[in-house]
Amino acid sequence: MSILDVEGLSKSYRQAGGESTLAIENISFQVNEGEFVSLVGPSGCGKTTLLMCMAGLIAPSAGRVVVKAAEVDGPPRNLVLVFQEYNKSLFAWRTVLGNVLFGLEVKGKPAREAEEKASYLIGLVGLDGFERHYPWELSGGMQQRVAIARALAYEPEVLLMDEPFGSVDAMTRLELEDGLLRLWKELGTTILFVTHDIEEAIYLSDRIYVLGRRPSRVIQAVEVRLGRPRNQLTTRADASFMELRNEIYKQTAPRLSSGW
Amino acid sequence: MTWSRESKLNGFLVLLSVMAAWELVSRTEMLNPLFFPPMSKILRSFFSLVFSGEILAQILSSMRRAAAGYLLAALVCIPLGIIMGLFNSVYRALEVVIETARPLPPPVVVPVAMLFFGLGDGMKVFVIFFSCLWPILLNTMDGVRNIDRVLIHTARTFGLSQGRAILKVILPAASPQIMTGLRISLAITLILVVISEMVGSSDGIGYFILDSQRRLKVDQMYAGMLSLALLGYLLNQLFLLFSNTFLSWHRGMLRSDK
Repeated sequence: MSILDVEGLSKSYRQAGGESTLAIENISFQVNEGEFVSLVGPSGCGKTTLLMCMAGLIAPSAGRVVVKAAEVDGPPRNLVLVFQEYNKSLFAWRTVLGNVLFGLEVKGKPAREAEEKASYLIGLVGLDGFERHYPWELSGGMQQRVAIARALAYEPEVLLMDEPFGSVDAMTRLELEDGLLRLWKELGTTILFVTHDIEEAIYLSDRIYVLGRRPSRVIQAVEVRLGRPRNQLTTRADASFMELRNEIYKQTAPRLSSGW
Repeated sequence: MTWSRESKLNGFLVLLSVMAAWELVSRTEMLNPLFFPPMSKILRSFFSLVFSGEILAQILSSMRRAAAGYLLAALVCIPLGIIMGLFNSVYRALEVVIETARPLPPPVVVPVAMLFFGLGDGMKVFVIFFSCLWPILLNTMDGVRNIDRVLIHTARTFGLSQGRAILKVILPAASPQIMTGLRISLAITLILVVISEMVGSSDGIGYFILDSQRRLKVDQMYAGMLSLALLGYLLNQLFLLFSNTFLSWHRGMLRSDK
């Protein structure tokens, strides 16, 4: 059953000269309940604009976003967006525990229950023992785990993630990918994951929507039929992984096959 | 900045040397001891004023006015600064007025305040209020304007209403800079309470210093200045204690950036 529907979404911006440019044009796709879906596209193709519309943070110029049969016209209660810039998104004045408690406080959960929930999630993202630390005392990968735990503590039905692993080093990135898949399996939250890394998208997802250059549209929908649980070594070496990778590369960067 | 125990000790030694030199200059009459009494006499005067309770009474009158003007300024300017920081239209509407009024040296409003409030406490509170406005207002506004968009979006994606976002996200995020404004205004408060008490008052530490000078009780005048210096030092230390406790996260963050 579809939980997230994007229907004919367009967004144009007015530029300094008064002209308006189209960032995204007529984008439509859907995500089913419990799925892990990725959006891939080249840098600057309007992925962030699309996510902001979906999270109800900016209004689209045309089209609509429907979450659980309700049209989005402001931040929906059952959806949270995780940002790439964890260092700007975390509350520097709150400890790890304080950050994770944030969404629960907003919801008005009783303190005791909230603390239990927060501790559970801090454990799930592997940060036990760091509850009293401040974000700046942690590495980048750990900070993003705090941001993910904070988002999940809010108990969203849909989690939107905007290139969440884009600012961490390659090794940490692989660990975070596996950690995210474990969380997803444990909690069953529907995840829409935005990245420009095609292999990351294949590794994580059930389905991938490939976006073209600005103004971006969905140019391809790819079903990923790789088994789970996935493995950074064997899954990425799988023949069908390679096949998918090549297929998407051909779509997004046709020059790759022909050289300069 | 950290002071080693040694450099603090050196600081005290320098202070003692200055006091000894003062004593010498006065005793040898290099400066007229009538205007420049020996340090020992000033200290004797200071302690007798402290023990008689007179200094404390004067300081309390001054502090009451200072606190009223300072807190009033904080109460008005922090909310106004937040609104100006959040809404560009409010900022633009007020910008010209603020930029015109701000360069006025605060003592200039003393005569105006005297017209409206006479020589009573109202005049002093108003003068202090007026001079404390700008640092608090402008720092709060800047602090709010400099908050990263991502942080605002984060508050919104968690479903916070604007009012709750101000309390739970905007105020704490801007608090280091608000604290800077409050600290600058604290120093200004001390200057203005003294000035306004010298212009027209029958009590307070500013009055006490001027009155001692007029009655040629010069040692008392210096004793009053000494107590004012100590008061300033104490207030600053109290403020640092408060802000270090309140902003410990921020100090740690700044240290970790280096």
